[in-house]
Amino acid sequence: MGASSLIVLICAAVAFSAGGIAIAKFMVKGTKNTAKGEAYECGIPAKGTPWDQFNVGYYLFALIFLIFDVELIFLYPWAVVVKSIGWPAFVEIVIFMFILFMGFLYAHKKGALKWM
Amino acid sequence: MMVLIILTAAGILAMFASVFNGRSVVLPVSLSGLFAAGYFALLEWNTNTTYFEAMRMDNFAIAFTVVCLFAAFVFLLLYHYMHYSSDVHYAEVISIILFSLAGVVVMVSFTSMLMLFLGIEILSLSLYILAGLKKKDLLSNEASLKYLLMGAFATGFLLFGIAMLYGATGSFMLSDIAYYLGLHKAVAEPFIVTGIIMLMIGLLFKVAAAPFHFWTPDVYQGAPTLVTGYMATVGKVAAFAALVRVFQLGFSPALETYQFLFAAVAVTTMFIGNITALYQKSVKRMLAYSSISHAGYMLIALMAANEVTNGAVLFYSIAYTLASLLAFAVVAILQQKSGSDEVSVFNGLSKSSPLMSITFAVAMLSLAGIPPTAGFFAKFYVFSAAISDGWVWITVLAIINSFISVYYYFAPVIASYMKKGNEEGIVLATPVKVLLAIIALLTLLIGLLPGSLSYLI
Amino acid sequence: MLTSAFYFIAFVTIFFAIMVVVSKNPIHSVLYLVLTFFCISANYIFMLDATFVGMVNVIVYAGAIMVLFLYVLMMMNLNAIAEQKRSVLFKISAAVTGGMLLLVLVAALKDANLQIQGSALEAEQRIGSIKVLGYVLYSKYQLPFEVASILFLVAMIGAVVLGKKDNSTKTIGIEPVK
Repeated sequence: MGASSLIVLICAAVAFSAGGIAIAKFMVKGTKNTAKGEAYECGIPAKGTPWDQFNVGYYLFALIFLIFDVELIFLYPWAVVVKSIGWPAFVEIVIFMFILFMGFLYAHKKGALKWM
Repeated sequence: MMVLIILTAAGILAMFASVFNGRSVVLPVSLSGLFAAGYFALLEWNTNTTYFEAMRMDNFAIAFTVVCLFAAFVFLLLYHYMHYSSDVHYAEVISIILFSLAGVVVMVSFTSMLMLFLGIEILSLSLYILAGLKKKDLLSNEASLKYLLMGAFATGFLLFGIAMLYGATGSFMLSDIAYYLGLHKAVAEPFIVTGIIMLMIGLLFKVAAAPFHFWTPDVYQGAPTLVTGYMATVGKVAAFAALVRVFQLGFSPALETYQFLFAAVAVTTMFIGNITALYQKSVKRMLAYSSISHAGYMLIALMAANEVTNGAVLFYSIAYTLASLLAFAVVAILQQKSGSDEVSVFNGLSKSSPLMSITFAVAMLSLAGIPPTAGFFAKFYVFSAAISDGWVWITVLAIINSFISVYYYFAPVIASYMKKGNEEGIVLATPVKVLLAIIALLTLLIGLLPGSLSYLI
Repeated sequence: MLTSAFYFIAFVTIFFAIMVVVSKNPIHSVLYLVLTFFCISANYIFMLDATFVGMVNVIVYAGAIMVLFLYVLMMMNLNAIAEQKRSVLFKISAAVTGGMLLLVLVAALKDANLQIQGSALEAEQRIGSIKVLGYVLYSKYQLPFEVASILFLVAMIGAVVLGKKDNSTKTIGIEPVK
């Protein structure tokens, strides 16, 4: 796929989505009421403001997730080349995983993965 | 290599001690880790062993590793005796210290820019965490957050610089970059100049040189005092060693590009540090500005960039580390006792604890550069490095600055001897007493017998 | 054609990057930043043929790290803090400083000689492919790779130490004065 078709595709994608929105705008007769503006149109009415202060616990989870996310990404290139490099690559990844696994064990034992 | 493995292993063990209620084994494990690391580092003296083309344990690296290990040893003992039962994060703090030392080893022994970046990040990340240890104290939170944001910004500059140098020379290796610079007379090449300056900004931030020093006072004041001591010694010395290593091994063929910049930064740093320190009420803040000004003195040696530079920087680092350890130890003990870090807490210290007042006086003398202490010869070597290359004007300015600094260094010493205060004795654990005495004696000993310490590397 | 595609993607990237800075609502800034990362990934994939780096950029930066950004914004309780009024002097000095940095960079790099060494050029050809990356990472850069794991470990301990709620008042530092 060349770069020219890429530009055509991008333009087509933009036109397709923008076109849909534009057609809907013209064709649909809009009504406005309070129920429509709510986050959930049915069920329990939303209380308070969405700009509420969140608990720091979410952040802790996200950070630990991020670290293992990055760790997993290191595994992709490893999996591709491990056969041709052989044992050295295997030993390297074992050390790497071991150190990070220690961290995981620590976080687990500390109860960082329990909610609050 | 062995040093890295030992420090990491000791760090992991200390970390698990906190989980399995093994508080009591943390200190033995970490201290034996430090000693083993020091032993294996010294074992490689004069061998110049290279590991994976990424780090080389030459004498420069070993000397700075040992200085930082010693500072960490003092910190660990003080921390143990002051906070063993009063800190829930006791084991974690010690394990973070050990990991940060692994970062220090990488920082002082790298031959590849990648390792420089990783080392700096490991050390900085540890310091960000340590600065915020007092979780319920707003000042400590502020210190941690400020340090993190500013540090991340500086790291951005550092990475940008490394990327540009890679783009221009096609290599991360210091030797390749030096070879390229020598071969092409590449001083005027835009990518190289921009890369060097960006790298310089990132590293000058880490050593807290003006005009990149704004974070220092707030961070040093907000962080727990012992952590401040750790930052001001290990953090600063390691960052300075990295700076020297990059510029001496990598960029020396392009010396004329950056030499004047270093001169300007050194002069600004000295004046800003010393003059602002005059106005401080808090001893911690005063020591923060003093540490800024000491970065300025060390930059003079780096700027001279001749064969005595490495030795002068090493000697200065040793003298500065010893004196700062003493100063911060005394301030930390006093602060724990009285809850304040104003100069007035020193009132009557000579009565309540003669040992602390005398060791603090030695530390201040050394920081001010008064003759019978290590600080005098540190300054002497730095200035002679500058003069031998004909930088007389900068030496004169530095000597003027040394005189200015005497004023604020003596304020707490005068308070402890002349003013009356709380004369109730301060009880110290015996190891802490021995430690303070030993460091003070070392400061005097190095001052009396400077010998060949400056020709080590 | 490749050049015009580059200009298109670069233009969109810079446009979104500017929107990050100028939008008033911090949530919008974060969303624009996600779009910026997507555009940068497009640059990696289509211009440099670096598919793996492009995908990683999407997964880690546009995905995980931006979620962290959102959490930070949510933790800050933006309702309580009205946006601080900054003085005109502050704005002007910030603009001058940033503009000067831009000027210096442009002046320095506009006539940079962009020739790459022979060896670097060869490596450059397929540098983005996952196979080349794997070879370089696990043979040439094995020590930095292992050292990176220490960095992750420190980050993890730090997150647990600072982020975990503990009810104990015992921390390092001064004892509470009674």
